[in-house]
This record gives sequence, structure tokens and C-alpha cells, in this order.
Amino acid sequence: MLAHKFSSPVAHTRPANPERHTSVKQLQDLPHKLADAPDAVLAERAGDGDVAAFEMLARRHAPLMRAYARRLVNSHAEADDVVQDALIAAWKDIAHLQDGTAAKAWLMRIVSRRAVDTGRRRKSHDNLDDQPEAEAILPTPEQAAVAGSARLALNTALSRLPEEQRRCWVLKELGGQSYEEIAQALGISAASVRGRLARARTTLMKEMEEWR
Amino acid sequence: MNPTHDCGRRIEALSDYLDSGTSPDAEHIDYCPQCQAQLAGLRSLSAAALLMMDDDVASATADDTGWLDGIMANLRLESRAGRTIPLRGGELDELSETEGAVIALVRTVGDSLGGVLIGRCQLEGDVSVPGEPVEVKINVSARYGHPLPELAQTLRDAVFAELLVETELNVTAVHVAFTDIRPPVIGNGSGESGKGRS
Repeated sequence: MLAHKFSSPVAHTRPANPERHTSVKQLQDLPHKLADAPDAVLAERAGDGDVAAFEMLARRHAPLMRAYARRLVNSHAEADDVVQDALIAAWKDIAHLQDGTAAKAWLMRIVSRRAVDTGRRRKSHDNLDDQPEAEAILPTPEQAAVAGSARLALNTALSRLPEEQRRCWVLKELGGQSYEEIAQALGISAASVRGRLARARTTLMKEMEEWR
Repeated sequence: MNPTHDCGRRIEALSDYLDSGTSPDAEHIDYCPQCQAQLAGLRSLSAAALLMMDDDVASATADDTGWLDGIMANLRLESRAGRTIPLRGGELDELSETEGAVIALVRTVGDSLGGVLIGRCQLEGDVSVPGEPVEVKINVSARYGHPLPELAQTLRDAVFAELLVETELNVTAVHVAFTDIRPPVIGNGSGESGKGRS
């Protein structure tokens, strides 16, 4: 017990290394505690500078961030760069995150902004001829076997949408962003976002009906 | 191409209705077969989107294992120092410790107690002036099954004791707030049953 340390004669000497208190048992416990800690607690700790808590939070949501980024940029390599940049930005800013329970949505917002910026940079730097087609997320043989499934129909229909509509739809439907957030990220008006989304949804619904 | 239908309702309005659950036009929408068909289409589109995202996440996780380790290794997260807390030294010394280090210490002390996981920890008061009263505010996530008043007292004592040894802060109070209760651990894998350290 801790109180013992205090009553022992050596207790008041200033130790050179505070880490000496860390028992083996505690080191074994902490990963378990962090693993089932809610996002809010991890976010608070990360905001206080706890790297382990931030890593736990990052690992928890990185697959979603990666999947989402892949839908927003043109290659898997680019998507991984976006996730990495987003996590660096998140670490710098997490002390200012007011509501830790919203950590996931907050991370997705950061990915949205980074991914859109990446696309913008690419457009301004690349020759139009060099632009790769969006790396199609092609169905695997197993997925193809269940051809006709709604998600496959959607995947195909999505790849045919004009990029500006596809982006809006992905930001809204997969990223859960608000009209205002999308408008800000894309540098267009909220009314334009509404219009693009409506066109995207109309086309997607039509194509999915045809699939059935 | 104008996404309108015979009844004249636009897909935007129907999407809004679906998002918010309310519409000034609800009376029409609720009884219009065309609108209902459109709403059903929008719903299955959203459902398909969720399924597609599940697939995407599964393949994002399955591809090249180790990608996440690679990203984490590349992050090189800088530590957060916070304010500077002066320490008494010799005449020529300028000793100090950082607020970040003190807060990390409080975390370490608290985490070592069975059932306790420290959340936010704040030092309130002017820590840069020696002797100024400082209050420590700690958020705690507790494991279900630990009596909270006892846990709070143990934590307070432990933090007081540690800060007395490791810092020169004039700690006048340690406030403990239980902000989260985690469900009990199934099985005994975590070894969190003990109280305090041995």
C-alpha cells in the first residue's frame, strides 16, 4: 500500500527516477485499462499528453479513418498519408477537443479536411493527363459471387459519379459531415452541397434500382 | 435533369425529412406514394452505404498487416510540457519541472490503483510561484465493483503523498470526480482486483 512508503524512513528522500514506483503489475494492467476505456477518457488523457492513450484511440479508429480516406482520395498510398497527417494534426489539437465522446466524429472531420486538401494539391500540381483514375475498389471474387448485392451495386454506381458529386456524397453519407462542414471543406456554398448531394442520391438510387 | 416527380417534391426536401424527422410538408409526404417510394429508396441507399463502409473497413484492416504500426511509428508525438514549475536549487542552479511531468506522475500513481484509470488532470493555481496554493482536479474512470468513496480517499492520499515527495507544490486539495464507470472485467485476465500496489 502506498501509505507504507510514506512511513518508511527512506520515503522522504527525493528519488532520482519517479519511474521506480511503477510496479510490474501496473505495467501489465494499464494496457487492459486503456483498451476498454471509453473514447472520452482516452481523449482526456491524450489531451494531457499521454501518448499511450492517444495511440489506443488512434488504433481504435484508424481502420475507419483509412477506409474513409480511401473513398476520398485517388490511391491507397495517398489515403495512408492522409491518415498519418490526420493523426499528427489530431495529437496537436486534442487538448482543445471539448467533448471527448465525439472523438470519432472529430477524427473523421480531420480526415475529411486533409483528404480534400490532398486532392486540391494534386490538382494544382499534376498534369491533367497524369491524373490516375480513382483506384477502383474492385469486388473480390467472393464479393463478385454475391453479385447483385446492394453494396456492390452501390460501389459500381459510385465509381461512375462525377467526382464533385461523389465527394459530397462520401463526406455526408460515410463521413457524417454536415452541409456546412462539407461546404467549408470543399470551398463551395451549402446550397451547392445540397444540390450536388441530391443529384448524387438521385443517380445512385436509380442505378441501384436498375441492378435489382 | 431535374430530380422532381409528379407530386413536385424534390429529393432535397425528402433527404432533409429523413435526416431530421420533421418537415413542414410532412402531411403530404406521409401520405404520398411517390414520396414514400423515394424515401424507401433513400433509406436503402443509406443502408447500402453502411454495408459498403463495413466492407471497406474490413479490407482496410485486412490489407498489409502492420500498416498501422508503421503509421504509429512515424507519428513521433511531441510531448506536452505545459507550464514550468520552479524547484529550489543551489544559488547557481535553476531547477524546474514541467506541469506535463507532474500530471504524468499523477496518472501513474492513479493508474496503479486497482480499478482506477485517470482521465483529465488539472493543476489549478499559479504553479510558477513557489508556495502558491495548488488544487489538483482529477477525472477518474472507475471499474464497476470498487466502492467509490474508499477509492476516492485512497487516490487522494496516494496523490498527496506522491506530490509531496516528487514536487514542491503546495497542494491544498485533491478533487476526485468519477466521470465514467467501466463494466467489470470478465475472467481474471487483467489482474486489476488488487487494491494499490504491493
